[in-house]
Amino acid sequence: MGDDNFPNVEVAMEDVLDPTPDDAVKRKLGVGFWIAIGWLALITLLAILAPILPIDGQNVTGAGGRLDGPSMSHLFGTDANGRDVFARTIWGARVSLSVGFIAIVAGMGIGGPLGIISGYFRGKIDAVISFVFVSLLSFPSLVLALLIVNSLDRSLKVVAMVLGILAIAPIGRLARANTIVFAEREFVQAARVIGAKDVRIMVRELLPNVLIPMGALALLGVAVAIVAEGGLAFLGLSVKEGATWGKMILAGSDARTLRTGTHVAMAPIGVMFLTVLALNYAGDRVRSYFDVRETAF
Amino acid sequence: MRYILQRIGQLVMVLFAVTVITFASVNVLGDPLTNILGPLASIDCADVNAGLKPDSSTRGGTSEGDCAVVERTRAEFNLDSALPVRYARWVGDISTGDFGTSFQNQLPVSTVIKNKLPVTLRLVGVGLFFSIVLSIPWALLSAYRANRPFDNVSTVVSFGLLAIPNFAMGVILLYFFAVRWQFFPTRYDPDGIYNQLKSLFLPGLTLALPLAATYQRLLRTDLITTLQEDFVHMARAKGMPPRSIMTRHALRPSMFSVLTVFGINTGALLGGTLVIERIFSIPGVGTEIVTAIVRDDTPVVLGIVVIIVTGFVLINLLVDLLYSVLDPRVRRG
Repeated sequence: MGDDNFPNVEVAMEDVLDPTPDDAVKRKLGVGFWIAIGWLALITLLAILAPILPIDGQNVTGAGGRLDGPSMSHLFGTDANGRDVFARTIWGARVSLSVGFIAIVAGMGIGGPLGIISGYFRGKIDAVISFVFVSLLSFPSLVLALLIVNSLDRSLKVVAMVLGILAIAPIGRLARANTIVFAEREFVQAARVIGAKDVRIMVRELLPNVLIPMGALALLGVAVAIVAEGGLAFLGLSVKEGATWGKMILAGSDARTLRTGTHVAMAPIGVMFLTVLALNYAGDRVRSYFDVRETAF
Repeated sequence: MRYILQRIGQLVMVLFAVTVITFASVNVLGDPLTNILGPLASIDCADVNAGLKPDSSTRGGTSEGDCAVVERTRAEFNLDSALPVRYARWVGDISTGDFGTSFQNQLPVSTVIKNKLPVTLRLVGVGLFFSIVLSIPWALLSAYRANRPFDNVSTVVSFGLLAIPNFAMGVILLYFFAVRWQFFPTRYDPDGIYNQLKSLFLPGLTLALPLAATYQRLLRTDLITTLQEDFVHMARAKGMPPRSIMTRHALRPSMFSVLTVFGINTGALLGGTLVIERIFSIPGVGTEIVTAIVRDDTPVVLGIVVIIVTGFVLINLLVDLLYSVLDPRVRRG
């Protein structure tokens, strides 16, 4: 630490003298955002096209040796059963991305309306719905997921639904908070004054405004759901059929496989990391792009 | 005072809701009798009594018939009553410290928890320690030179840390420090406090890194705001060295938002160690509840859920109260 200058005064002076560049930066999504979106688009495309891509099927064994390192014929090497890790990572993307996507759509579909209703009507309805949200949040999320998945079955539908239930409370609370803010605004009061019905106000006036912050949270939520699938896999309760990123990382994470075939765990970890990073970054950018308070600040 | 009562009321309500949900889901979705007795549970007593089916339990030295076993078990675990009645009884038992008996090994659940909880608490303790020790100096350094190279790099680093799932972080740390360089054991070693702490180093770090990143982000933002305040300029003007300004003047008033999040995260940690305990083979409540869920060991699941959720709400209550002690405005809000 140098004693000569204490930096923040300087920063503040710059802001005072020339406030435009900073604001201009904030109003752009930036290159990073488009790189993130590009990566997500690429992964999604590969996942959708997996059946027609020139890659091994997810359970084709003997494609190479066991635990072979990365090479030209097997970009990410092979796993303990001699399956091509690159091919399985793409197949795994199908399950992991679907789980993340379905979970968040379900969470928004249930949490969004509940949050808007709760924030619009307030009073007793609000008290009840908020209590449901608090209870859901107090529950250790993985324990709840384990309970449900264990007692139903380990299909893609159930796992996605369970993660969707976990998404209800955070999304609902955000929707509620935003609804409360917007419900006080002039355009909503104007709608009320000209006699619009409650349903119309909620759908036509509040929903479009609440959707934007929800969208930013949804991007983060997809990332959380993808990670949660991995957590379930480590506890032995992820989607039963086919490869998922979580199951692949688990398969490569015992001490012996780590020592002799590090790539088996590290390849899916890398892809999952980049995907989560991209989702986090894109969500963060969208939020600061649309967040009026933050730009005003 | 009214505020505290309100909060405690809310706490009890949340506990009630969570236990009802758990109780209902474990009892409705799986048949407890089958989980205790296995195939014996589905025996048709009318057939046995009529002598149509052989009575198998008389072998192995017990003179008790199959049906008697079923009856006794039903009575022992209160399985005959309606669900709400059983819930009420269960709550009554718990309030006297009786968590019931494990279906699997007939041990009292309180003994199971007594054995496993300290390990998890130690793990959480190590994790919290690392998260604080890492995040505070990190935030001080990056806020001191905000938007300079060190701060920019640390923004990237913390973004990266938050994007690594905890199990992936666990696997990466396990690979480098336990498998490759073998500084730490790959499995939990319960022999003596030194070995225990050594085995908890990596899992604790796994817990701590994303937390440290979160706290660093929050604390940095608040520190930057505090550093604009007059009393900081005053301290600077009188020639106080920057190190003392940062640690003595700026740090304390910048702690509020970090404290709130710290509370929420700490409560959530109790239920968040499941995966990490699994990766590092730590015999704590996380491992225990996963096994119990898979084996439908209802009393153990319920007991651990109660402990985890109570811990969560209590810590949040504590932080709320602490918050109102630190900032009197909250009390009236």
